[in-house]
This record gives sequence, structure tokens and C-alpha cells, in this order.
Amino acid sequence: MNLGILYSGGKDSTLALMKAQKYHKVVCLISIVSENKESFMFHTPNIDITLLQSQAMEIPLVRVTTKGEKESELADLKKAIKDAKTRFKIDGVVTGAVHSTYQASRIQKICRELDLWCFNPLWLKDQVELLKEVVSEKIHAIIGGVFAEPFDESYLGKEIDGRMIAKLSKLHNPAGEGGEIETTVLNAPVFHKKIVITKSSQEFKNYAGTYNIDDARLEPK
Amino acid sequence: MILIISTCKEQLSELEFVEPIKRMVDEFIIKRFDNITKDDLIKAEKIIICGTALKDFDYLETNWNWIETYDKPLLGICAGAQVIGKAYGIHLKYEINIGQQKVETIKPNVLCDGEFNAYFLHTKNVEGLETIATSQGKPCILKHPKKEHYAVIFHPEVMCSNIIRNFLK
Repeated sequence: MNLGILYSGGKDSTLALMKAQKYHKVVCLISIVSENKESFMFHTPNIDITLLQSQAMEIPLVRVTTKGEKESELADLKKAIKDAKTRFKIDGVVTGAVHSTYQASRIQKICRELDLWCFNPLWLKDQVELLKEVVSEKIHAIIGGVFAEPFDESYLGKEIDGRMIAKLSKLHNPAGEGGEIETTVLNAPVFHKKIVITKSSQEFKNYAGTYNIDDARLEPK
Repeated sequence: MILIISTCKEQLSELEFVEPIKRMVDEFIIKRFDNITKDDLIKAEKIIICGTALKDFDYLETNWNWIETYDKPLLGICAGAQVIGKAYGIHLKYEINIGQQKVETIKPNVLCDGEFNAYFLHTKNVEGLETIATSQGKPCILKHPKKEHYAVIFHPEVMCSNIIRNFLK
């Protein structure tokens, strides 16, 4: 099968992509850029990094911008998936959904309407196990945003490694399933080149903040 | 030992529909729907037949007649519920249902009680066995009148794993 993956540039979608590649060909990344910071479906810090990730993986990117209003963002997602179906002849869509029935059911409905398979290879996975798998699969992910207590500035830009997993394991949602943290992947076995950040900045206020990648480039691994 | 039967055509779907069930069971063997032997059925104390992707219907092409003569406890989830219906000669009804819905228990049983939310993901429904729970007025957990054979139309592994735990007790 030819598959497209809903790709946010974070640890979950990268791990889901690697799992899908064991059985099928992933022919495109599908990224939704939301202008609404409150979007439940698509808000992701550093979403523009998917442009570099696409180059690093040598997998083309289908990118659609949405205003992020509740119903229109679903129409925009459908438009992006439909576009991927037309351009790359995809038979199905892969997502990095883990526990969110809100996200999963909406994507399932769109796939159904477009007559596409829908695969969620991380579905119901234990969050600590998921983090451990990210590390054991050599996915180099950093924390690109924190959005809840007890996070402070010190987490921003830090790598997901064994020590970070030990800290995150104490939390209610260790892998950030409730949107507490967002991650950005800079390198993984599926990358032909690695991403090097050349300029960054941070914002933080009231337990919420982002590590912004202002400039980055690809370098040989 | 619990026999877990995969109804998935695609191995990638098994990560979504079989793995979560596997994590809840201590001793198990996993078999694909078209590779079940008489020996598997004899060795199993109980059987769980898992669900699969919405676009997957290959499991309906297989002969599931062994269910009719199987007397030990059996739990069918979504596609698994459909094949239980098929084995008992029940016509599967087209019905699309995706997302969370409230479930109401209407008959005392060992799997569940009261009201709870469940995650539905199916395009075919089963009617015609004994209804023990409904959702929006339609049967969603059914039982064979004489055997511990349960057909659960939704996915209990998602929001109500106690149903699977109660079955395994």
C-alpha cells in the first residue's frame, strides 16, 4: 500500500511513520499548519520544521494552512488528505494518535468519506513505553513546547532521553497525551540528514512556553 | 491460556486492534483468522476475537462455523462480534458509527453494569441474539442465550477495558 502520514514533526508521528514503513511505503507527509493556538487538533510549535524534515527524509510534504476554527479545520484536513490521495495515489493514512478518541474519530470519518484505510499504530500504547520506544528507536526529539503544570522553562529545548523519561514518568500524561508537552524531531533512522538548529528563542509564562526554532539547516549524519 | 484471534488483513492494523488486547492478557497465543486449528480451540480456556480497520472485510469471507459448536467462553469485539453473528446465521445490518456514545446495560450480566461511555468504530451491526446493553436504542452487547458467547459491537479496549477484564475473570 502507498500511505500518507499525518505528520506534525513530533515524536509520535515519527514513530508511527517508522512502524508503517515496516509494512508499507510512506509516500507523503501531510501537515496541517493551524493559525489557532487553541486548536485541539493541530496546534504544534515549530510546525514549519516539517519542511526540513520532509527534505531530510526525502518524502514529499503536503502542507495545508487552516484558520483552526472547529469545523473548518476538519474541512481543511479533509482537503489535505484528498490532495494527497490525488497527487500521491495513497491507499491509506497513518496517524500518531495514542489515546484521543476526539482526534481519532474525526480522522476515521474523513478516511471513510475518502475511501481510505486508516492506521493508528501507536493506539492505546502505554505512554512511558512509548517514550522508551522513541529513545530505543533512536529518534532524537526535543521538547518544543510545555503547556501545563509543573513544567518550567528548564524543559524547553531538552532532549527526550532516559533522564527526561524518568522525570516525565512521574506525571499524569508522561508522553504529553493531554497536550502538556509537544516535541520536535531533529534526527531519526528514517532521516538521511540531521537537522541542526542555528538560531532559537524561548517564551515562557504561567507554566506554558515554547522553544522556537528560528533557523535551522540540514547537515550530513 | 487465552486464544486471541486477529481479524486483520493488514499486519499494521494489528498494532491498533490486537496489541491493546494482548497487553491485558497474561497467557495467550495469537492466531490470524484464517489460520486457526482444532488444536488451538481445544487448548484455549477462552477466546477473544479482535476488531479490525473500517475498510477491512476479508474476515467475513472465512468460515466461522466452529463458533456454533464451541462451548467455552468467547468474546467478539466489533469485527469479532460480526463473525459471531455470522456463525449463528444472523444477517449483518449496515450501520455506520464512529466516535463516543453512551451505553446502557439493560440485563444483569458478568461484563458490565449501569451506564458508561464507549468508543464505536463500525459499519455493520449484529441483531438477533439476547441484548444485554444498548446504545441510542440499538443493541451493542449481545449474548448467546445458552453459552458465554458475547458480541460487543464497540471497542471496549478503548474506554471500558473492565469489560475485557470481567470476561477474563
